[in-house]
Amino acid sequence: MDLVYDANSAGHQSRAEVNPSSILVKSRGPVPNYEGVEQIRRPVGDDPSRGPPRREEPLQEYDDDDEELKYGAAHVIRLFVPVSLCLLVVVATMNSVSFYRTRDLYLVYTPFHEIDPNVGTKIWNALANAAILLSVIVVMTVLLIVLYKNRCYKVIHAWLIMSSLILLSIFSYVYIVEVLRAYNIPFDSITMAFIMWNFGVMGMIAIHWKGPLHVQQAYLIFLAALMALIFIKYLPEWTTWVVLAVISIWDLFAVLTPKGPLRILVETAQERNEQIFPALIYSSTVMYTLVGMARVDTGSQGGRMSPQSPSNYSRVSGEGGFTREWEEGIDARNAARSRAMDSNSDASRVPPVRIQDPNFSNQLRDDEEEKGVKLGLGDFIFYSVLVGKASSYGDWNTTVACFVAILIGLSLTLLLLAIFKKALPALPISIAFGLFFYFSTSEIVQPFCDTLNTRQIFI
Amino acid sequence: MDLSKVNNEEKLKLCRWYFKAGFFCLPFVWLINSIWFFKYAFLRPEYDEQKSIRKLVIWSAIGALVWAIAVASWVTTYQTHRVAWGEFGDWISVVTPTGSA
Repeated sequence: MDLVYDANSAGHQSRAEVNPSSILVKSRGPVPNYEGVEQIRRPVGDDPSRGPPRREEPLQEYDDDDEELKYGAAHVIRLFVPVSLCLLVVVATMNSVSFYRTRDLYLVYTPFHEIDPNVGTKIWNALANAAILLSVIVVMTVLLIVLYKNRCYKVIHAWLIMSSLILLSIFSYVYIVEVLRAYNIPFDSITMAFIMWNFGVMGMIAIHWKGPLHVQQAYLIFLAALMALIFIKYLPEWTTWVVLAVISIWDLFAVLTPKGPLRILVETAQERNEQIFPALIYSSTVMYTLVGMARVDTGSQGGRMSPQSPSNYSRVSGEGGFTREWEEGIDARNAARSRAMDSNSDASRVPPVRIQDPNFSNQLRDDEEEKGVKLGLGDFIFYSVLVGKASSYGDWNTTVACFVAILIGLSLTLLLLAIFKKALPALPISIAFGLFFYFSTSEIVQPFCDTLNTRQIFI
Repeated sequence: MDLSKVNNEEKLKLCRWYFKAGFFCLPFVWLINSIWFFKYAFLRPEYDEQKSIRKLVIWSAIGALVWAIAVASWVTTYQTHRVAWGEFGDWISVVTPTGSA
């Protein structure tokens, strides 16, 4: 449920990117065959105020930030596409398949069904439902963290495989059948079995094993959309809105507080130089956190940087290839971030035990260009729940308003990500905007438009 | 998973794995295989494993095509004969269309 920007590799790489002046780049070691690429893209004479051996610090700071924001912009677009696709799937389904609009059954977690017409009772029911659902989510998250901390990877994988299997089989089947039913298309069981088998197996391969990135992303988007549709269908009316609000507050807490479970998850993953499980998170590119770190170590300690001037050498700290001034720079800018950095450099001091396969690190050397942003699938799900729910009332103004609100929130979050460079909760801003836009559009703008329409006033 | 980061040997292994998996009535896996490895089978300068990859890609594509034709013809038969088949037609239907008002 959070947005991860790989602080180690990305921050470090973007730094290298800023300094095409070759000596400094070389002194950093970790970026061996990088300079060539860089100089093609960015002419050396680009910045006249920058002498090759040493630059003025403030300017460089500024440049750094600038560059990071540029990355942020690229990432905004990279995430807009999948999020929009997910929302589109949900909205299209909500508008064409009546199955997901009708409420007949409810989840076990929401025992109060808001049948009572009294508003007070409804609110009370919704709050109770949301509290129960939230506690289920909290328990599950904590369980996941405990398992992860104790390295019970098998259990977690089994869990994730089970849940994705259920989604890819039963719920996909229900989805396909309902879509066919909505369009009144006859379908035979043999072809259905064949399609389900192919779809499910390919999904499992792509998500949990090796598959083309696009296929994996497509499957993850589909799973998120499916999960959102399930939430929309099986949650009572008011509960959905309360759940959205409560979950984004929980997200804020879980990612930002020092003992928040999602923060622990992200930090542990960075410490261990691992990727977070692919079934939980959408990556805009393939991330190689592992070697991002490993390269840093081999670079700063290995013989790669022998031909460098001593003054440059002094700038390189042994800790994960981050230069000292840079670490201080962070300290100045943001205390929390520096804490994260400390823990990272701690991790990188546990040296390159992890790179056992030399091929692997070779493959990764040329992958500087790939810095990805990761968005938790939970974020996709709740974004879609909001927009899908908004569209379920059949009002396009509201739907579009919520869609725009979600995207604005996402870009703001990405902006903050570029500034803070640590895992951030992606729900709060987007959902807050979404809820605000939803209620203001449906309660104020829509009646206003209706009145204008009925009175035939054109503005 | 990004293929350009993987060495050729690994590519061949993966391609072969996908090809074998396709035999379990999984033409979709073949389809993905042939698309995924197409670039490495035909558009790259020659390397040792390319011949085998090319063969696997071609056969995967053929397999997927054969399956596609088979499924398409079956679906056509079903759609055109469902009513004529009567009870059997209903029995194999997951979704039976209802009349519309």
